[in-house]
Amino acid sequence: MSERTPEKGPVGGTPAGSTDSGLLLDGQSGGEPGGPTGTGDVVAHAMASGHGDDGSVDARQASLWSDAWRQLRRNKLFLIAAFLLLVLSVMAMFPGLFSSINPSDRGACQLSSSKLGPRSDAWFGNDIQGCDHYANVIYGARVSMIIGLVVVGGSTIIGIVLGALAGFFGGWFDTLMARITDIVFGLPLLLGAILILGVFPERGLPQVCLALIVLGWPTTLRLFRASVIAVKDTDYVAAARAMGATNGRIIVRHILPNAIAPVLVYATIAVGGIIAAEATLSFLGIGLQLPAVSWGLQIGSGQRLIRTAPHIIFFPSAFLSVTVLSFILLGDALRDALDPKTR
Amino acid sequence: MTSTVPQAVPAPKPTVTGGAPLLEVDDLSVEFRTDYGVVKAVNGISYTLAAGETLAILGESGCGKSVSAQTIMGILDSPPGFVTHGEIRFRGEDLLKMSAKQQRDIRGEEISIVFQDALSSLNPVFTVGAQIGEMFRRHRGASRKDAKASAIELMDKVRIPSAKERVNDYPHQFSGGMRQRVMIAMAIALDPAVLIADEPTTALDVTVQAQIMDLLAELQRETGMGLILITHDLGVVGEIADRIAVMYAGRIVETGATDAVFTAPAMPYTEGLMASIARVDQKGQRLNPIVGAPPNLAMLPPGCEFAPRCPRATDLCVAERPPLREIVPGRRSACHYAEEVLGA
Amino acid sequence: MARYIARRLLLAIPVLIGASFLIFAMVFALPGDPIRALGGDRPISPAVQEQLRDQYNLDDPLLVQYGKYAGGLLQGDLGTDFSGRPVADILEQTVPVTVKLALVALAFEAVFGLIAGVLAGIRQKSFFDNLVLVSTTLVVSIPVFVLGFVAQYVLGLKLGIFPVAGVASGFQGYLLPGFVLAALSLAYVARLTRTSLAENLRNDYVRTAKAKGLTPLSVVGKHTLRNSLIPVVTFLGADLGALLSGAVVTEGIFNIPGLGRAVFGAIQTQEGTVVVGIVTLFVFVFILFNLLVDVLYAALDPRIRYE
Repeated sequence: MSERTPEKGPVGGTPAGSTDSGLLLDGQSGGEPGGPTGTGDVVAHAMASGHGDDGSVDARQASLWSDAWRQLRRNKLFLIAAFLLLVLSVMAMFPGLFSSINPSDRGACQLSSSKLGPRSDAWFGNDIQGCDHYANVIYGARVSMIIGLVVVGGSTIIGIVLGALAGFFGGWFDTLMARITDIVFGLPLLLGAILILGVFPERGLPQVCLALIVLGWPTTLRLFRASVIAVKDTDYVAAARAMGATNGRIIVRHILPNAIAPVLVYATIAVGGIIAAEATLSFLGIGLQLPAVSWGLQIGSGQRLIRTAPHIIFFPSAFLSVTVLSFILLGDALRDALDPKTR
Repeated sequence: MTSTVPQAVPAPKPTVTGGAPLLEVDDLSVEFRTDYGVVKAVNGISYTLAAGETLAILGESGCGKSVSAQTIMGILDSPPGFVTHGEIRFRGEDLLKMSAKQQRDIRGEEISIVFQDALSSLNPVFTVGAQIGEMFRRHRGASRKDAKASAIELMDKVRIPSAKERVNDYPHQFSGGMRQRVMIAMAIALDPAVLIADEPTTALDVTVQAQIMDLLAELQRETGMGLILITHDLGVVGEIADRIAVMYAGRIVETGATDAVFTAPAMPYTEGLMASIARVDQKGQRLNPIVGAPPNLAMLPPGCEFAPRCPRATDLCVAERPPLREIVPGRRSACHYAEEVLGA
Repeated sequence: MARYIARRLLLAIPVLIGASFLIFAMVFALPGDPIRALGGDRPISPAVQEQLRDQYNLDDPLLVQYGKYAGGLLQGDLGTDFSGRPVADILEQTVPVTVKLALVALAFEAVFGLIAGVLAGIRQKSFFDNLVLVSTTLVVSIPVFVLGFVAQYVLGLKLGIFPVAGVASGFQGYLLPGFVLAALSLAYVARLTRTSLAENLRNDYVRTAKAKGLTPLSVVGKHTLRNSLIPVVTFLGADLGALLSGAVVTEGIFNIPGLGRAVFGAIQTQEGTVVVGIVTLFVFVFILFNLLVDVLYAALDPRIRYE
């Protein structure tokens, strides 16, 4: 009896579902069939050496992460993505540094300048209300970053805790989790989010976060569960057990550090997907509501004006896409750095 | 079996008459250009093979013996692998200068190969019958039905029991030994003139190893093909090889008739190999492994590659690389002190 | 194999029930009174209200409501919307539209995704390979609704190659939305094919195929592609959820009267029976496709045997 459980689940897949499995599976591994000097072997050897006690586990981990860091620093795409994300983070925390106008202030908008195009004193033009579109777009970063980080942070923690329990202990709890994730995976992410958000009369940041966390954690669970099962049967866990380590200690000390890498890579890429999902929901009118400042809302408001004022859609779209792209590039770079095979 | 004496100089273009070597490898060099530097895997090797002859190429893993085999087959991955020098003449014509199509027509039809690991070398998603039959379909334009009939015949020939029933099975449904028989059936399907067996028994149980070697020897007697046996197993070599070429660090370091080399090696490395195998008459004595590891092929030393591990190494060995030279008729060695080693 | 399929279908039943109940519960937990919302500005007489409530079992407890609904479902009765139109009718009108859209999208994915992936995979690190990597990363980063606008603006408005919206003009109207819907998955298919092919090309049996004297075309086409397609097929099956999800957005942007727009509209007007009907259908199709993928998997890889 062999039932395959696809471990990398479809994240239901938002239309913006960059959270889907493809990127994770996709190693951009080069094709050097290592000559006798292939460094792959060296790394594998370094990683394989020193099984057994806690000290060498630390050493192995330390070398994995420091190797990864060394590799990252040389990766141009990583540097670009990190720089962009740094700028976007500052933009989210201190939008005032970038724009002297706060779109929420009274008097920030002049109806007379409604829909005017980009020009020297209003780089991105004005929206329907006549507000400065540049200020709109700058202030829109905050919501995206908060939702991306909160949702991914939340679903990662839930997924790791439940995934560790399911993978380590198996049994009825594992079966229950498998069925629940089946149900959530059966539901396309966006549709699920629309359904959940429909329950709330008022929709703000907390509601949107909640809906996306509810739909997001099963992926992390499956990913982490698979890692845990793979690590559980290794010799060094057996050794730790033989030396009398408790289950809790084995999970935290031995399994977690070794199983965390794929989850971390997935989470990084997922931030981009979640940001896109929020924008999509807000765009559809089922996510954040005015007067919230969100790229999705801005794009939605320009929907009917695509013929006359395309700049209203263009600028928030560009910022949104660059943000998502940055997280994806970061995740890609992280994966390459953490996967010994691709070195 | 005939035993040919290796030529000291590359043979002149052969005439159609017999005696001319079937395959001549002449000063062949292959390197891999990787991100981590250039790895010189094969450095100017030469040998010849006549019809009906068995040449064993002996060496540790990573010495370039498999790379040279893949180069002869024309299946070297390029990039990163590049032939930098030399010729491979089959019936007098340089394979390396042929068009891609001409090369493909020879591949499988005239020169064939058996790989080490039959499980990974057979395609998991096709039946063995289809994979053996593909030879007939590709080279002889056989119909699907005829190809299958030929496949069954071949499976009988390599003594796979109940071939008729098993022809539709997939590789994973066979045992290791049977899978290797499938590989062999595929390789000899079109009666090739040259068969290269690249460590054909390494992945198998000892008892099965003997059966496979017997099968190869028998097939060779029947068909008169030239056999290049690549191995690191001295026991295998002694039984069926006419001649031996010992490779070390991408270079041939000693050649000669099997018996001669076995009884009196003329190169310390060969000597070390002999000393490191268990023999019945040495029961109770310690084995003597060669100490140290082969050199890094990306950074070859200027002198003799074996010098760092050689018990006889002198300053001369470290400074100057000894060429492969004839020491007695039919014997060549790449050691400054070959005569002394031979006399020892 | 038949037993395996039967077992999988049995396993799907609790998932379907769980999902439809969950959807049902969420839909009927929606705030506000759907009957009053139905009337809009005009007040509805209490008597009519009562009758409607009764007709839709709105006063029963949730479990009872669901029981009645599921009972009807088993007899092929999907219920009616508030204006009395059978949900089955709505499905009959919208399903063909969405199926056409999804098929166009799948075709784009399969054809362009596979071609790009194969070409990039056999020539790793070539210019084309890098082009595929860069462009797929970009496509993956652009949310579908943004991509929809870009396509509408550039191809529809500026260049005038495609109709901007609607499917009144027939098949042509499906091309642009189909492409937009496919874009994200197309990128994944290309990358997955590329990686999978490149990995498989390093297998020993590829070396064997070359040693047999096969042409490069049959080395790749016959001996490698089939093995490489296995993960791609898995992806396509799982991807159906994403396509349906994307249909909600794509159909909205391009004004296409399909399932996605119907379900979105129904959620906003709190048409519970319509929402539950359509979403349960989505889940069912999704489960069915995953089963299909697993069966196809066994056909592609003889090492897999289901019992």
